[in-house]
Amino acid sequence: MKQKFHSFFFILWPRFFRELSEHIIPYLTFNNYPRIWVRGILILVSTSLIPLFVMTGIYYQLIEKSIDNALILRTERVASNTRRAVSFFFEERLAALKFMVNDRDYKDLINPTQLSEILKNLKLGFGGLTDLSVIDYNGTQLTYAGPYNLEGKDYSQQNWFLECQKRNAYVSEVFSGYRGVPHIVVAVKHTRPDGNFFIIRATLETERLFNAVTSYKSGTYADIFMINHDGVVQSPSKYYEKKTRRISIEVPEYSSRTKALLTKDRKGIPVIVSYAFINTSITPTPFILIVVKEKEGVSVMKIWLGLKTNFNLFLAISAMVIVLIMSLTATSLINKIYFADRSKAEAMLSAEQKGQLASIGQLAAGVAHEINNPLALINETAGYIKDLFVIKSQYQDDPELIEQIDVILDAVERCGAITRQLLGFARQLDVESRSLNLKVMMTNLLSFFQKEAEYRNISILLDVEDGTPSIETDRKKLQQILLNLINNAFQAMDKDGNLSIKIGIVGTDMVRISIEDSGCGIEEHHLNKIFDPFFTTKQEGKGTGLGLSITFGLVKKLHGNISVNSKVGEGTTFVITLPINFKKEEKHENSTG
Amino acid sequence: MKILLVDDEKKFASMLAKRLELRGIKVDYFFEATNAIQEVENGKKYDVAILDVKMPGMGGIELRRKLSRMDSDLKFIFLTGHGSNVDYKTGVSEASYYLPKPLKINDLIETLYLVAPEKTT
Repeated sequence: MKQKFHSFFFILWPRFFRELSEHIIPYLTFNNYPRIWVRGILILVSTSLIPLFVMTGIYYQLIEKSIDNALILRTERVASNTRRAVSFFFEERLAALKFMVNDRDYKDLINPTQLSEILKNLKLGFGGLTDLSVIDYNGTQLTYAGPYNLEGKDYSQQNWFLECQKRNAYVSEVFSGYRGVPHIVVAVKHTRPDGNFFIIRATLETERLFNAVTSYKSGTYADIFMINHDGVVQSPSKYYEKKTRRISIEVPEYSSRTKALLTKDRKGIPVIVSYAFINTSITPTPFILIVVKEKEGVSVMKIWLGLKTNFNLFLAISAMVIVLIMSLTATSLINKIYFADRSKAEAMLSAEQKGQLASIGQLAAGVAHEINNPLALINETAGYIKDLFVIKSQYQDDPELIEQIDVILDAVERCGAITRQLLGFARQLDVESRSLNLKVMMTNLLSFFQKEAEYRNISILLDVEDGTPSIETDRKKLQQILLNLINNAFQAMDKDGNLSIKIGIVGTDMVRISIEDSGCGIEEHHLNKIFDPFFTTKQEGKGTGLGLSITFGLVKKLHGNISVNSKVGEGTTFVITLPINFKKEEKHENSTG
Repeated sequence: MKILLVDDEKKFASMLAKRLELRGIKVDYFFEATNAIQEVENGKKYDVAILDVKMPGMGGIELRRKLSRMDSDLKFIFLTGHGSNVDYKTGVSEASYYLPKPLKINDLIETLYLVAPEKTT
């Protein structure tokens, strides 16, 4: 199992994390594969996931919006029905009192026996009535029918009396009476023919009202209750009865119509609140009806939430599958690019090594030719001395003999010089970085081309500007670069050419080497391609097309630049600029990069 | 037998000439092709021309073309220090003899006899 997991992970984990040999890195086209990989995955994953999530989000919002609308409508309907019932409750009782004051004579009403009779009849008709009293315009209670006789009590300064006087009718808030039973007072004012008024007042038990209100309640997550205009709860409530008895929802602004809104309660639970100010046709009441529904308690919402959970699960699984597939795709794509890049880099690396060998081989052939000439001379001179011994017998006391021996020694010296040069060149190949004098190096290099130049009548001009400093660089690479370029120049030229090499300083920290030939030149449309790998204008099999590409790579490795200027038939100039201190440049690069 | 020797290696040319003369062969030697042409133009007659292939200015191959135009009887032997195939092939294709440097004096003598047998006596 563990093995399986490992091999699975192996597919996801790109090759370039596992095998990236140091020596190949400079030849790769892209040098930061991990970054390309991460970026590739991010782009692929985000382009596929973002639309999915955005669409899902929009879809969710649409569904939830329509569910909300349906819930608001439904809650509003409940509130509206309940309001009608409550209004009707008060209207009925106020109408009964009004009927009574119009129907009965004032004398009957202030007669306690008659009033008790009326109370009895009202109790039979409506029930839930505690007492009935008549109060004159002074606020003095004239008659009382009920369990507590408060005859003669002065109500003139009480709020309800003043209110009733002003509005002709009155409905009180819920209050606890003497027995701790909640009551509501309703009162109606009547003006007698003599101009004086009196008020008839009834105390109602709240049970019937509360029953009427709660009968509209549906479902466990719903609450219907009444509050007064100060927000104090007036009727039994499931959630808002206890503690402060104040609802956490703000007291809504007055509205003659039923209203509904979406909000959150004190606990942060999303709720739909519908409210209605309860007014009767006779007088306004202090009650506001509140219907509260917890969103999650509604069955449509429940179905949706269940669906949403499934959707989300499906979405999560899809997202995971997408991420996995996109990661695999990105990994395999970038692996393929990496493989292609790596094989290109390997080809370049091996070509560079072969190129090096080829030019050393070329050098050796040249050297052999150079050595053969002095050897031929030694041969002839020694042969002549032998001839003197064999053919002529007058060898003793002959000054010519000494002269010939000098010739031999001279020729041997020439051979020695050539081998020293070759050895020196080979030894230099091993040195990584050392201060080197460009003039000396260039002279050494050119000595290998001297004979070739003589034979083809090519004039070589080396011009080193005064004050050109020694440079600190990789000698092996620079030699390879210059050899390649001089070789190219020689190949481009026929007989009677000119090779002009100029070395000078650029700014304070760079040197400039220009190699100008009077050869066949490069066609303009080839100029931007000559540094590309495998580009060649030579015949099939004659060139690999890697020479200049390798040269370009080497110059870059020395933190230099190479440029080319050419005209067909007139010649070509390659210009290299190199930092005077390659190491310093490298350090600088490390610190900034 | 009269020999024309052209080689830019001055010591070599003079030494080879001395050795051939020790063997009874008359040699005129030059270090530049133009001088040799001058000499032939002036009416000098040679049996065999020994030419170095690679020389600054005019090389052996070109010199041969010019000399044979002036004297169609002239035979040629090429010398070269470059042991490469290119030169060998050039030598053969020009229907001439080719000898590598450093050369053995006896090989040269043999080749001379081979090239111009009628002049050996």
